[in-house]
Amino acid sequence: MNAESGTMNSNGGSMRVAFPFIALRPAFIILVFLSGCAPSSAVSSGTNTALDSIDLTAMTDDMAMKIVADSDVQAEIASNGKLITVVQPVENRMRGEILPKGPADAFTARLRILLSKHAPDRFTWVMNRDAFYSLQSRERDTDLGPAPDRVQPEYAITAIFSSLTNEDVKRRSSYYLCEYQLTDINTGRLLWSDKYEVKKSAVKGFLD
Amino acid sequence: MAESGIRRAVRQMYHASLNILVLLATARSAARRLLPAACVLLLVTGCATEKHQREAAKALREFYTSDFDEAARQYKPLAEKTDEDFVLNNVRLGTSYLMYYDLDEAEAAFLRAYEVINSVGVNNGGRSVGAVLVDEKLKIWKGEPFERAMANYYLGLIYYMRNDYNNARAAFENALFKLADYDPDDDKGSRKKRLESNFVLAHLMLAKCFQRLGRDDLARESFKHAKKLRPDLQNLLEYSWNESSNVLLVVEVGFGPRKMTTYNGAIAGFGPTPEEAGPVPLPAVRVDGRLLNLHDLNRPTIDLLAMAQDRKWQDIDTIRTIKSTIGKGMIAGGAIMVAKGAGEDGSRQRTDLMVGAGLLLAGALLEASSQADVRQWELLPRTVFLLPLRLPPGKHDITIEFPDDENLYQTWQGLEVPSNGEATYIFRIQRFNEGPHLWPAKGMRKHLPTTVPGTKFE
Repeated sequence: MNAESGTMNSNGGSMRVAFPFIALRPAFIILVFLSGCAPSSAVSSGTNTALDSIDLTAMTDDMAMKIVADSDVQAEIASNGKLITVVQPVENRMRGEILPKGPADAFTARLRILLSKHAPDRFTWVMNRDAFYSLQSRERDTDLGPAPDRVQPEYAITAIFSSLTNEDVKRRSSYYLCEYQLTDINTGRLLWSDKYEVKKSAVKGFLD
Repeated sequence: MAESGIRRAVRQMYHASLNILVLLATARSAARRLLPAACVLLLVTGCATEKHQREAAKALREFYTSDFDEAARQYKPLAEKTDEDFVLNNVRLGTSYLMYYDLDEAEAAFLRAYEVINSVGVNNGGRSVGAVLVDEKLKIWKGEPFERAMANYYLGLIYYMRNDYNNARAAFENALFKLADYDPDDDKGSRKKRLESNFVLAHLMLAKCFQRLGRDDLARESFKHAKKLRPDLQNLLEYSWNESSNVLLVVEVGFGPRKMTTYNGAIAGFGPTPEEAGPVPLPAVRVDGRLLNLHDLNRPTIDLLAMAQDRKWQDIDTIRTIKSTIGKGMIAGGAIMVAKGAGEDGSRQRTDLMVGAGLLLAGALLEASSQADVRQWELLPRTVFLLPLRLPPGKHDITIEFPDDENLYQTWQGLEVPSNGEATYIFRIQRFNEGPHLWPAKGMRKHLPTTVPGTKFE
């Protein structure tokens, strides 16, 4: 056949026409591959505005340093000895942000762990009442009622997380205020208080 | 001259026919070479997807026959797979566990879904391209806005049932975020004026949370706002009535909306319409055999069938429509190029015909692959009634019945009503779930201590 006329010239013509298919072949295979093999899992690619492990580490490190360096706390320890302290889970006052029990415990538990590790001579830690009686009811055969031998805490570390959260068609943004307090339970005196602030936003994409 | 012209035309037609034949032969050859690999891949992946769909359908049957424990058992392995149905299977799992009263498992499942629903960019990493070019079902399902709102509502309900009012509040607020709408006449982009959602179910539960948290100012504001949205729920949204309530009955009836497709796979919308499904039956409550006067509390807070008809809350079929439009455009462009090529000769003719055929083929493939994504959360009820009641503290047998349909009822025996605070019970009214059920519910018992003196289970 005549190549110039654009029909078939044995291999040459055939190869030229086949070229798009050869070029498309990898793309086709990728497409088929895409259709079957998930390129990413549902939990591997997304980002959101929730507080995460980086915040957990940063804020508890910061709070631990500040609480031991505080002059009022140091004066209290100097006058009363080790502070018998209980730790409460975080109180969630965040708008549109759920804080399940595990993370709510973790944000104060890590602070307790840091303090017990780095300042063991300044604090005595006591289980909070609910956890104590829950443990007793799980592990003891008889219910003995209130335990007179339970060490009574005199101080409490508490945390309140608040947020201003908003979501619209394009993004979700949250400003967090995480406030930690050390309170004298007997008198209600606020011995120490500090905060951790962070702002986060997530921009929605094509399929969000 | 005339003979030469005819001969030239015949030659052009002959060349054009040959070009098309070559194209088809090459396509056939390419297809033949690719077919085994493609078939194997499609079979493997297709079989896996089909298997999951069969398993989900089986679990769905168990749910509809009210064997919630078995439904949850079957949904669980599906919900563990972090594939494109991760959120869908987790909300299905959460619903099954909730109806089984296994609140810990229900919370865990809904939380997994909540995290992905609240995340952005979950379809990055190739899924977006795959969803657009291959199949929309490749995208990670996050649900329509009303489905996202219901996932948050259920999560809130679980926390409310456990008296964790702070987390319940957060979940109901989040439910309202998912249904936020924006003034279409305001064109300031993301700063568009926010229109309050009329998802009164979440507004009411939010008000109740504020009430239980002692935030009277916010509670009153929420009740007031909800009354403005739904004046017909005047009694249900009464501050003092809710304040004195010590038991909240959550009654779910009917089946939620379904995605309907046309003959060519396009979404026709959600169905049935409220008119097709008929009016929502209104419940009556019998406590220890005595019929209560509900003072018009028994009004539906939502009708998901009506909600699904509202296009402003629908985000469906976007990709399919885009693909279909582009596909049609390519077919039209291809046809023009082929027609143009038929009137030419030489290398230009060959190029035009090839481009035209390529466009036709690509357009046809795009059009053919533009099937709608019909995945949906089919366990949603049509409507939810909230019945806050004041009952004498102690144990009571409570029956929900529907005077307009004697086949619809459910009885629970020994429901505990506290003297302080509010106990919340959920009634899923459907076939084979009439009871009588004994309290504590079966799903709660595995979390209770095994040796509790004086406690007898059925």
